[in-house]
Amino acid sequence: MTQFLLRRLLLVLPVLVGILLVTFIITRLVPGDPCYVMLGEHATEASCNDFNARFGLDKSIPEQFVRYALNLLKGEFGNSLKDRRPITTIIGERLPMTIELTVLAVTLSSFFGILLGVISALKRNTIFDTLTMLGANAGVSMPIFWLGLLLAYLFALVLKGTPFQLPPSGRLSAGMSMLPLAKTWGLQDVTGIKAFLLALLSNSAIMNGLLTGNYALTFDALKHLILPSVAVSTVSLAIIARMTRSALIDVLGQDYIRTARAKGLAYALVVRRHALRNALIPIVTIIGIQTGGLLSGAVLTETIFSLPGVGSRMVEAILNRDYPVVQGFAVVIALIFVFTNLIVDASYAYLDPRVRVK
Amino acid sequence: MKRNLYVLISLIALASMILAACGAKPTEAPVAPVVTEAPVVATEAPVVAYVGEKLEAPDCNYGGTIKSIEAVDEFTVKFTFCGPEPAFIAKVGSVEAYNIYDADYLKEIGGDAVAMNDNPVGTGQYIVQEWVRGDHITLVPNPTYFGKAVDNTTLVLKWNKEAAARLLDLQAGNVDGIAEVTADDLPTIQADSNLKLAPRKINNFLYLGINNTYPPFDNEKVRQAFAMLINKQQIVDDFYAPGSVAATQFVPPGVKPGFTDGFVDTTYDMAKGVEMLKAEKFDFNKEYTLSYAERTRPYFPQPTKIAQAVQAQLAEAGIKVKLSMEEWATYLPATRAGEKELFFLGWSEDYPDATNWYDVFLTGSSPAFGDPFPDIVENIKKAAQSGDPVERQKIYDEVNKLYAQHVPTTVIAHGTVNQAYLASVENVVLGPYNENFGQMKTADGTMRYSQDGEPVSLMCADETDGNSFRACNLIFSKLYKFTTTSIAEPDLAEECVGNADATEWTCTLRQGVVFSNGAKLDANDVVATFSAGMDYNYPLRKGNTGTYQYFKDNFGPKVMNQPPE
Amino acid sequence: MSQQQVPTLSATTIFQRDNPSVIVVRRLFKHRSAKLGMFLLMVLIICAVFAEQIAPFDPIVPIKGEKRRAPPCIHLLGCPDDQPEHLMGIDGNTRDQFSRIIFGARLSLRIGVATVSLAIVIGALLGAIAGFVGGWLDDLIMRSMDVLQAFPGLLLAIAIVAVLGPGLINALLAIAIIEIPIFARVVRASVLSVKELEYVTASRALGASELRILFTSILPNSLTPLIVQGTLGIASAILSAAALSFLGLGAEFPTPEWGLMLGEERNSVFNAPFLVFFPGLAIMVTVLSFNLLGDGLRDVLDPRLSHGG
Repeated sequence: MTQFLLRRLLLVLPVLVGILLVTFIITRLVPGDPCYVMLGEHATEASCNDFNARFGLDKSIPEQFVRYALNLLKGEFGNSLKDRRPITTIIGERLPMTIELTVLAVTLSSFFGILLGVISALKRNTIFDTLTMLGANAGVSMPIFWLGLLLAYLFALVLKGTPFQLPPSGRLSAGMSMLPLAKTWGLQDVTGIKAFLLALLSNSAIMNGLLTGNYALTFDALKHLILPSVAVSTVSLAIIARMTRSALIDVLGQDYIRTARAKGLAYALVVRRHALRNALIPIVTIIGIQTGGLLSGAVLTETIFSLPGVGSRMVEAILNRDYPVVQGFAVVIALIFVFTNLIVDASYAYLDPRVRVK
Repeated sequence: MKRNLYVLISLIALASMILAACGAKPTEAPVAPVVTEAPVVATEAPVVAYVGEKLEAPDCNYGGTIKSIEAVDEFTVKFTFCGPEPAFIAKVGSVEAYNIYDADYLKEIGGDAVAMNDNPVGTGQYIVQEWVRGDHITLVPNPTYFGKAVDNTTLVLKWNKEAAARLLDLQAGNVDGIAEVTADDLPTIQADSNLKLAPRKINNFLYLGINNTYPPFDNEKVRQAFAMLINKQQIVDDFYAPGSVAATQFVPPGVKPGFTDGFVDTTYDMAKGVEMLKAEKFDFNKEYTLSYAERTRPYFPQPTKIAQAVQAQLAEAGIKVKLSMEEWATYLPATRAGEKELFFLGWSEDYPDATNWYDVFLTGSSPAFGDPFPDIVENIKKAAQSGDPVERQKIYDEVNKLYAQHVPTTVIAHGTVNQAYLASVENVVLGPYNENFGQMKTADGTMRYSQDGEPVSLMCADETDGNSFRACNLIFSKLYKFTTTSIAEPDLAEECVGNADATEWTCTLRQGVVFSNGAKLDANDVVATFSAGMDYNYPLRKGNTGTYQYFKDNFGPKVMNQPPE
Repeated sequence: MSQQQVPTLSATTIFQRDNPSVIVVRRLFKHRSAKLGMFLLMVLIICAVFAEQIAPFDPIVPIKGEKRRAPPCIHLLGCPDDQPEHLMGIDGNTRDQFSRIIFGARLSLRIGVATVSLAIVIGALLGAIAGFVGGWLDDLIMRSMDVLQAFPGLLLAIAIVAVLGPGLINALLAIAIIEIPIFARVVRASVLSVKELEYVTASRALGASELRILFTSILPNSLTPLIVQGTLGIASAILSAAALSFLGLGAEFPTPEWGLMLGEERNSVFNAPFLVFFPGLAIMVTVLSFNLLGDGLRDVLDPRLSHGG
């Protein structure tokens, strides 16, 4: 298992280098002086000299790239053009929001997707099955931003005044306070990676509330996340449902299932112990692949529901021509994606021993 | 063998990555304290003689109106101007750009807005409890505020770009008040008994800026033709709230002296406009870029729709226009730097005087319209220095005619402004420039307000954006202030007295005012604040973008030591 | 005695086979979801081709004298006859929404076909080279595809638009780029699967050049998965284009692109929901038709994959 993981990890490295290359090229391709591109209207002679020295802009392109990569590894992503705050700080503020949204969406889509898929497989060719599969097709074809708007209309306007009313935008209700953990725990003097991790934790409203016992905060944050995560999870849910159904049908048709039933085992037991476990393999793969789609969907959903996450900030940065942010966020997002795939590979190997030997 | 080589390279890369990552810690943004050469500031012991600072220009040829600002003693500041400045009190009390900062605090943060955002120190009614970026700012009453304490326990400032979402929040009771209600939503609010409208009477305008350094707009006849091609009345009818009017000249009807009764600058005439363009060999095949920011403003209630309407009107004339929708934060400085050939922007009055209109736009204090027109500039300067309204009106009549002729820009509409509140909020009184948040009473003592965007920064000396100003107004104070009327009231200054010809203004500061970090307010704070805005070489002049536009607008057009373009 | 038709036994009867394409088409028409997909697609194509005839108004020029954001007025459903008929209402700039939706069909179909065609041409080339030549070139190309796929699709498209600047052409380029890896993989897989087959070896033995073998024997094998992936790719391209326009990064005003219409009227969902409902529905129906068709093609063209759907 370890050997498998190590091999996988090493194969990821050239991809990582490729990602860095792509993000490096992003800003070099923009027309104009790189200093002006990265510093905007703060590009005075003094600051440009500084900038050029740091990134070796007078040196050759390969050397520039190496410097750029090394700077990234040191954690220096530069500053946002809009408010001159360091990008690592902005990432620390925005990433937890997107992770909350994505994790919630993955949970929803996996749970309901597998559930619907299993039921459809077991009740094959019934009305339930047909309707579910039609719904799945519709779900895959639906634009997420449209669904989000319709959900907002339904739950914020149509159901206004009922207990089912949900807030149509924002991360927290007005008046909810989210104090940084550093302040609450008296850890203001911590710097470096520890400070960054602390910031990540405190900027997640859910975690912040749980860790400080402020359950109202957690509950409020979750309430605001319901509509967005439903919107984001829809496409994924549909795909997982379809995949689960076909995988389970495949497995149920196998010889060993027939043998188990012939032996006299109860159907439910057969499904649970033998069929599902084997069907899980392709399902898990699909879930992993969906994470990328969920991150994309998060961009759109965050914009509609005014959630301060990585996606909405990225779109703002692009409209603002805030290239340092575009570059920094692109690296972070790609890294998350790559490592998520790695985790999926690992769980795939765990579930199917045959893969480890390959 | 190839696989082994692969693995080896990957191992080396991995090892170097780990070494590099462990070697240096990711840095947060430490603000390097700027070493200044400013001399010693006043100490607190009363026995030591007060060392007052002085900002002085060598002469009056640098292009601005301030000759010197001097801290005469601990609580007296003297402003000396190059010419008469009758609107002094109105100006310094108007916009949050003239918030007074503590000199020592400025030194501590190196005049940097980023540092101020993390820890703002002011003398206002509120202090910042938290600024959750992207979501809200929580304000609590300032325990050391020198004035009357506020009537609520917490003020939460939220924002949402979508007007519909703000209205929904209000209807759901998630917020107590919202800004910038669109005309389409007015009927909904009027029909709802839980909500009330709070109209605000303010002079504002929307203009189509034309930069005369970009051909073919350097041709005056082309600009005049463009002004004829826009059906202003149609736009007002379609997109503005009831009570709004189409523009007939440069200033809104409420600006007196200034507005010339009965004067109309151009009439909508599509045929004549096209004819003029053809006569000037206008290139109808070229695509022109019209920029705007999708940000609802009182003067610009539905930006994208209005922009498309104008695009369609120009298309009718055969002109190809491409719309460029931009983000507010970068759009504003870009237009002020003169980068856009055609653009939409607008203006809400800061203080009740014509100098807040003519002087701001038509004297060339920013290259947004390209080159200023000397005949217009001369007249404006004359009118600014006179104290006689009848004489000023005569001069402004002339300016209005010149504006119609030169067309530096074409003003389109004047909008009425509406905010909406829950009917249960007591004591909502909107002044022309501010809301009286401190006096609004809600059932639970928490006042929640939703505006249309996040403040860009809290160092309003370097900002021009209304969302930042709303926040600054709560945290900082100015020499004078406007609350519910358009008459300035003393704030940090007990009074400012002008000499006979209004070239010297002496302000007596209130004593005993303390900043939220404990520092005492004294005259050097005023000098330091204004130095950062008026002196290009001042070491603490860093701000956010370093533009300090309002100083150029009201006391310029140039600041001291400003390098030539 | 009644006359019975005696089946005649002849060489043609025994050895006659239907043309494979005919078989495919026949099976396609029997496939449930494919039928629905084809029907929807036909409606769309008619809208696209005959947009000028079907749409009652111009999609771009504002209508004079009518009330902005008027709700849909359908005479058949009870709207009084003195009011002008607007099947889907009027939008915020006094344009008939129904006409814009119809013209939007033309634009969306063009977008889908253009991006996928470009992606297939480049992707197939890369995949063929990778599969056929193998070795370090294969590794290089496939790693590059990995890198491209390391970014979530829409985000990469957004980043590309960030560099190129907003606009429809740039958005199309960005979408084409993110679709390339799929087609490259598909073609590479089929090239690999036939590379070592006997008829290829036979061709080589007969003296055919490598290039000729590639084009005549190997590439046609990838046609089937390409058709399936291409159809699904069109669906995904239309969705991506709508998403980019929604964010303000794709089509420019006043183009009647469905995503743009949605993005512009985002606000109106609470006081004029018909302005949000119809563009989104149009997107969904279009994407659904391509998805259904693609699914049907996949089931029909490769019987091993059908699961009794």
